[in-house]
Amino acid sequence: MTHTFGKLVGAALMAAVLTLSAGPYFDPAQAQSGHAMTAMATSSTKAAGLRSGLNMLFQEHIYLAAAATGAALGGRETEFKAAAGALDANSIAISKAIGNVYGQGAEDAFLPLWRKHIGMVVDYTVGVAGNDKAKQDKAVADLIGYTQDFGAFLQSANPNLPKSVVADLVKHHVVTLKAVIDAQASKDQAKTFATLRTAAGHMQMIADPLAEAIVKQFPDKFGG
Amino acid sequence: MGTRWQGTRLVAAVAVALALGAGSAAAQSPQGVTVQTFQFKPTPIEAAAGSKVTFTNQDDITHTVTSGTPESRDGRFSHQLVGKGATATVELTQRGVYPYFCERHRSMRGEIHVK
Repeated sequence: MTHTFGKLVGAALMAAVLTLSAGPYFDPAQAQSGHAMTAMATSSTKAAGLRSGLNMLFQEHIYLAAAATGAALGGRETEFKAAAGALDANSIAISKAIGNVYGQGAEDAFLPLWRKHIGMVVDYTVGVAGNDKAKQDKAVADLIGYTQDFGAFLQSANPNLPKSVVADLVKHHVVTLKAVIDAQASKDQAKTFATLRTAAGHMQMIADPLAEAIVKQFPDKFGG
Repeated sequence: MGTRWQGTRLVAAVAVALALGAGSAAAQSPQGVTVQTFQFKPTPIEAAAGSKVTFTNQDDITHTVTSGTPESRDGRFSHQLVGKGATATVELTQRGVYPYFCERHRSMRGEIHVK
């Protein structure tokens, strides 16, 4: 199991490296998310469209992350690769949403920052799969440290988003996603899906304030 | 008439002197790079050999300005920018291309072209 998982993680890292080195590309999943973001602009109000679009992307992040960690913990290699690919497409879509508001430079800076926390989640999952408490603890510590970076990024982009508040919200995201992985590892299906709903629901606590802060910052572009 | 002509020449001379002075000051003033939203801005920049470049952190988090790339550090300089408002200045004595990056966020990269 550990060996199989090690191979899966190796494959995931390879895929991540290939994705990073390939640069911009067109893919259907990305285009689909792009369509969602385009649709936002034609919603009845731009603010509502922005909020629903961000909620969709962040909740998708949870479900795809859980699909990837569940497949990895279950040793289902093909499923894991597909889920990891879809999760990365979601990451790209989220970064494009950021770029749509703050420009190409912010999009380029956001994507590796966002991917970084996914790598830490992978580290935690590897620790759980290998029953390696030290690896789990390090991954959790890295993720908690990461929340400060993420908070600083959004505060720098938007003064209406205080670093400490964002960091706390992302910390809760880390905790709720960790609960999903722990439940998956324990093979408790009821708990897995209950924690999954909690984790996905929490993302509204990030998406809504983010959308609200963007509207406040750019009322001419997103207000009304 | 003679007085007016002399006055015009004097004004022109003062204007030229001011323009030259301003140009000289601009050439010698240190260049600045801002670190904001996890980006070095602007990049790349051009600087004269022997000039200084000052980095100012506008993010509320620690960044570094480290010469080279994450894959190949060259050891020319490395400074921590601990929090918002922190600054660091580097002096560039030799001509060449100076890549730099942030050790904490390795996708953050910039370049100085020293001429």
